Amino acid sequence: MVNELREKVKKLLAGGEVELVIGWEKGSRALAATPVFIDSPKEADRLIFDSTCGNNPAVYFTKDSRRLVKAGKKIGVVVKGCDARSMSLYLAEKQVKRENVVIIGVPCRGVIDTDKVAEAAGGREVLEYSEQDGKMTVRGKDLDLTLDANEVLSNSCLTCVYPDAREYDIFIGKARDGEPGKEQNAALDEFEKLSPEERWEKMTEIYSRCIRCYACRNVCPSCYCNECFVDQNDPQWVGKTPEITDTMIFHIIRNLHVAGRCVECGACERACPMGLELLLLNRKAAREVEERFGYVTGIDSGEKPAMADFREDEKQDFIMG
Amino acid sequence: MVRLEKDKFDDFIRSLAGDYIVYAPVTAGGKSSFKVVESAEDIDGNCLVTDRSPKEIFFPHSEVLFEYDRDGVRELERSGKPIAVWGLRGCDVKSLAMLDKVFGNARQMPDNEMFQDPYWKQKYDDSLVFGLACNEPRSTCFCNWLGGDPHGGDGSDVFVVDAGDAYLMKPGSDKGKAFIEKMTDAGPASDADEKKAGELASGARAMLSDPLALDELDGRLKAVFHEDIWEELSAKCVNCGACAFVCPTCHCFDVQDEGKGGKGKRIRIWDSCMFPIFTKEASGHNPRQLSRERFKQRVMHKFSYFVDNYGESLCTGCGRCVVACPVNVDIREVIKKVILFEGKGAR
Amino acid sequence: MKDWQPRILAILCNWCSYAGADLAGVSRIQYPPNIRVVRIPCSGRVDPLFIMKGLQSGFDGVLVSGCHPGDCHYLSGNFVARRRFAVLKPLLEMIGIEPERVQFSWISAGEGERFAQVMTKVTNDIKKIGPARRLVKGA
Repeated sequence: MVNELREKVKKLLAGGEVELVIGWEKGSRALAATPVFIDSPKEADRLIFDSTCGNNPAVYFTKDSRRLVKAGKKIGVVVKGCDARSMSLYLAEKQVKRENVVIIGVPCRGVIDTDKVAEAAGGREVLEYSEQDGKMTVRGKDLDLTLDANEVLSNSCLTCVYPDAREYDIFIGKARDGEPGKEQNAALDEFEKLSPEERWEKMTEIYSRCIRCYACRNVCPSCYCNECFVDQNDPQWVGKTPEITDTMIFHIIRNLHVAGRCVECGACERACPMGLELLLLNRKAAREVEERFGYVTGIDSGEKPAMADFREDEKQDFIMG
Repeated sequence: MVRLEKDKFDDFIRSLAGDYIVYAPVTAGGKSSFKVVESAEDIDGNCLVTDRSPKEIFFPHSEVLFEYDRDGVRELERSGKPIAVWGLRGCDVKSLAMLDKVFGNARQMPDNEMFQDPYWKQKYDDSLVFGLACNEPRSTCFCNWLGGDPHGGDGSDVFVVDAGDAYLMKPGSDKGKAFIEKMTDAGPASDADEKKAGELASGARAMLSDPLALDELDGRLKAVFHEDIWEELSAKCVNCGACAFVCPTCHCFDVQDEGKGGKGKRIRIWDSCMFPIFTKEASGHNPRQLSRERFKQRVMHKFSYFVDNYGESLCTGCGRCVVACPVNVDIREVIKKVILFEGKGAR
Repeated sequence: MKDWQPRILAILCNWCSYAGADLAGVSRIQYPPNIRVVRIPCSGRVDPLFIMKGLQSGFDGVLVSGCHPGDCHYLSGNFVARRRFAVLKPLLEMIGIEPERVQFSWISAGEGERFAQVMTKVTNDIKKIGPARRLVKGA
């Protein structure tokens, strides 16, 4: 599949259909692929695709106030299912022009969670990684371990409903649909059994580790405001220290801003240097949007995003009216 | 050199905690950092380089500088005991010394207390540093590129080698010498111990990758300042700031007042040159609007400007940034590319 | 703590809810004096950050009230607001903010009696769950 991807990208570049292709190449650490920007056919052999390809490449379209897009280049992007949803979101939000993007879908079977691998490896450093048919092998000094995908995939991937791109120009290999409702809400249902007191305790435990580095915000393709609300200081909405109230408000409001726009790719959780379980809030917001407004992010770029839309008749059980 | 048996280690820490506030590597929620300990129970002995750097012991993420109300300003009292830090790797010991140069204003008027940072000095000056040798550096470690050594005791008050069944300790300063002389739990180290320490040292040094010669780096960076190479180098970076926050030498900070009504407090918090508004001016103009400009700034500060001001790179090769970066920007590859750059402006 | 009186932030839209409050006033309808009113042009103006700031500042409860759907002075402001609140409320409940703390209502300009009823209900709800502790700044 990877060879086919490389050949396809070579053809696209050679034929002038795109000037740049964003994908992944092998990183300097065994467990992390790294983004690569291919601008000539011979560079295309650097492209890889496997379960280390964690970050969401769509983010580069909106980086620096959409600098790449504004340059008017035709850009190709290799996408997993979730990344493709981000691209569809960008099309719906008119952040990229359809004729300037070539969406290349690849079959994704999930991205690994490096913390889970580190735990399985008992803290021994992983120096080599390979995968085959749902089994991941990690090797290092005194380390040779083969793990099942279920043990080491990111939480968002274990319950993924859209593994492969739904809207694309080219698909390499065979696409498949995920199974809807496949335990997607299991963790959330479990959490919702807790009382408000218990919820506050659990959330405080998680978010007290936040160091307000904003890695989650910056890797997120849905976060592309020119000025983020945390950077406003007149008025200052949120304090900058990790005082729990300010940290909670940052995360709640960021979630609200990406409600109905988050594709649950998990890039935020993987980027967090403190290993916070961020996606619980994202799943909650996504489920509310799905159930109340019947909208799933990034499935149809022709559909108006839920929070930018309304219906006159809507469930308003929470309003005294 | 003296020898402290591992079964005496708990007593050692407990006794140390009587005279000092003891910080040591602790792992919680899968991530390690330096936290206050009272016994050896909580210490994570398997931790090489902690996920969070030890700079936060002396330069916390958020620190109240003083409180104010209508009656005046109140500085906060510092608690009595001095700080001892156990388990600092060579890269971290070096980083604290570097930060001391900045906060102690070594560059301009090192003897004038008025220009020193009291919040740092209060905590750092009387602290006791236990450096811990690295027996198995990671693939992301590159201290040797910057003159570091996994078994080098420079800067530690007491330098410790984990020899398996015991900790071997050597003084690195007068303070350390005095400390070791007062120790009741340790016995003299044997020749076999010295030999073991030597073997561990060679083993560790052999595990590190071949160092890249960095003496030209400062000059090369200045030469390529205006080149397009920065476009390529910074393309992946999403300017999240994780690198600066986990870095043991990054020290930029912001000062904020948080108040309500007639009272409040002034707080110092970490800032990062990666953040978009780092250089935003009151007029609204931002000289480093683009990601590549901020990326370049960080590299220049670490390997050029700091060299100009303090004679060494603001990096100790700990590799935390390489591990933390969500898109795997590897600073080693960045500086390699700068040194090998053959384009316009190159020598 | 039996003398504790809750302080409740009431964000009211100018055209309907605020007018309803005025009507309650001129009609001399009694209701608990625990609310502090902030007048905004439309419930669609309410940025969730206002609600968060309210909780941070120490308000024990927040009520946001606007025009009935279909009656918005700006036609669709309250429809947009409705979706926003529909997602904000569950997120707040996720972190353990009690459901009674942040409430929403539609009250029209002619509903003076109803305004008083809603204020009474909210005040009693907050009295039952006690002072807000969780998101208060500088606590």
